[in-house]
Amino acid sequence: MEDNTAQNKALSFEFRGDGMEYFKIWIVNVLLTIVTLGIYSAWATVRNRRYFYSNTILDNSSFSYLADPITILKGRIIAIVAFIIYSVAASQFPPAAIAIAVVFVFLFPYFLNKSLAFNHRMSAYKNIQFRFKGSYKDAFMVMYIWPLLGLVSLGILYPLVFLKTNQYIVKNSAYGTTSFDFNASFKDYGIIFLIMIGVGLVFGIPIWAITVFVPALAVITPVLMILVYFGLIVYFIVETQNLFYRSATLGEHSFAANLTISGLAKVILINALLTVITLGLYLPAAKVRMAKYMCSCLVMNAAGSLDHHAAAEKENISALGEEFGQVFDFGV
Amino acid sequence: MRIAGSYHDGKTSRCVNAHLERFDDDPESVRIAFISDDETSDTSVTLQYSELKIASRLGNTPREIAFGDGRLFVTEDNDAVDLLIRQHGKSDTGSLLHRLENNSPLILASVVVTIAIIWATVIYGIPASARIIAFELPDFASEKLGSSLTVLDNTVFEASELSDSRQAEVSRLTAPYLEIYKDLQPRLNFRSGMGANALALPSGDIVLTDDFVNLVENDQQLLAVFFHEIGHLQHKHLLRRALQDSMVTLLIIFVTGDVDTFDLITGLPTLVLDLSYSREFEREADVFALEQLQKFNIPVDHFAAVMTRLEAYYAEQSEDNKNTLEQVVTKDEQTDNRSDEESISDFFSTHPGTDERIELIKQFKLNHKIND
Repeated sequence: MEDNTAQNKALSFEFRGDGMEYFKIWIVNVLLTIVTLGIYSAWATVRNRRYFYSNTILDNSSFSYLADPITILKGRIIAIVAFIIYSVAASQFPPAAIAIAVVFVFLFPYFLNKSLAFNHRMSAYKNIQFRFKGSYKDAFMVMYIWPLLGLVSLGILYPLVFLKTNQYIVKNSAYGTTSFDFNASFKDYGIIFLIMIGVGLVFGIPIWAITVFVPALAVITPVLMILVYFGLIVYFIVETQNLFYRSATLGEHSFAANLTISGLAKVILINALLTVITLGLYLPAAKVRMAKYMCSCLVMNAAGSLDHHAAAEKENISALGEEFGQVFDFGV
Repeated sequence: MRIAGSYHDGKTSRCVNAHLERFDDDPESVRIAFISDDETSDTSVTLQYSELKIASRLGNTPREIAFGDGRLFVTEDNDAVDLLIRQHGKSDTGSLLHRLENNSPLILASVVVTIAIIWATVIYGIPASARIIAFELPDFASEKLGSSLTVLDNTVFEASELSDSRQAEVSRLTAPYLEIYKDLQPRLNFRSGMGANALALPSGDIVLTDDFVNLVENDQQLLAVFFHEIGHLQHKHLLRRALQDSMVTLLIIFVTGDVDTFDLITGLPTLVLDLSYSREFEREADVFALEQLQKFNIPVDHFAAVMTRLEAYYAEQSEDNKNTLEQVVTKDEQTDNRSDEESISDFFSTHPGTDERIELIKQFKLNHKIND
């Protein structure tokens, strides 16, 4: 273990988008989507994503989103047609509907893989695309078995759902030919859940006591409950995000995130307030503020230069899989 | 002209300084110069302009120009790239979008038009299409939507404690009307729970609660509310409400462009709209009830009387809950709170206020020339 630090440098993520600039793009998207009765929505989706990817800067280079709107449009058309067929079948022959539903239960993990593969392949950084290759078994476990175990164990194994889901997503991802890895443990997630339960009880019991013993103050208890609930959700997001990035590695490179409860709560509250006041018109600027905050908290600890990642062989994922991936992407 | 940027070979993530040049003596070709792989000498490729695949402009994000074999030239000098495109006189839908996005009057117009269209869709479009769907849809589907009586029996309702003779009396009273509306397949049910209430489920089940049956002063008042519930069935209100709610959800997904946005912020308008739709349906059912009362020669004033009674009943109930609170609130604040509460509760309530409903009855009498 020699002095390796000279080569290590912390590269920060930066989001260069601007609320007003994105508002203009967003409102044109909304108008064209309405005027074209929804057909433009595929182009709108691509333009929205491109805006967020291209404005995310790491090491002086931006990310890029490459999807073709036509592919996404085809996916949506398939989704709508499938839904209509299902509805008609369900109404005419209810047994057929059950059969279709069962088939879909088994197809969903396949779609999940395809959807992630599509989105990864359509994401690039420094002209190298990301990749995703998950097995059907992994996807099936993540979708059904782990959540079921979490439920059967009365929540004791629930942190496992988060661990396994993130392992499935990160370990199956690659940047070019370099794989990502994920090394969080069950304990890491368990602690987050235990602290949430503890804090919930510490605040919840006094609030419950107020309701029971001081009925005069009972009116303020819903407000207190909402505050505690909001605090717990923010805590959960902060801790799981920080853990996620802390545990992810790309080859020799690692990541770190330092979201804080006060920082994230401020962003969420300002966004919610302004969005409600402006009857939703602030929504695009709110998304920009959130992206700016998230990127400002994110750091990549690069071991040496990022210039040596090689592109993978061009894959031939069939258009059908791609479109079904999109169906699923739209369906969840 | 000369545009500075960076070059990516498409094989590795290496990124080197580069520039793109176009010479006036040969306007159809461009030269892209960059440092070669061995990092010692400058290399350049000369290509036809038509071989370049220039991404459409999006705000001020870095512009990507692909030129075959996965090679990429990236620049932040968007204006120069736009100039290059213009010099070649190519029509470019991408830059058209960018011009739209930077045209202030057009943005303002977009905001106004978008709000107008959404408003019209929510107020007229969605209710109208839900009505069409609800009445064209075969019955199978309506049975699946909305809550069934079994679910309510398992959660809020208990068996009725009314005497058999009272139940028989009410059944005899409503039987002729159930026969008249038999197309709607209405069934009368007695339950206890949920205070003084009457409800109609999409399945055709009409539920009268014990407290309600005990609250009415006479048969006419009971019939007035019974007709109101028949009105809900006649107009397929529960089905239409479910349809309208899902259309609002779809509209929001449409407008915001993605599914993830669907959270607390966008959930609020859905709730407000749902309640406003619900109040509209109550009004429609009220009008139906008044029409039926008149048709069967029952004075419509009974409807007003039962509404007033119900209001008094609920006021008393919430008074009981509030008593404890009012001891700590001073008199002044109390009145203030009241008026606030009323205006807000009107916005957040499923039924129109009683005053409004009584006003509706007056209007109805006026229109049908009924004298007091």
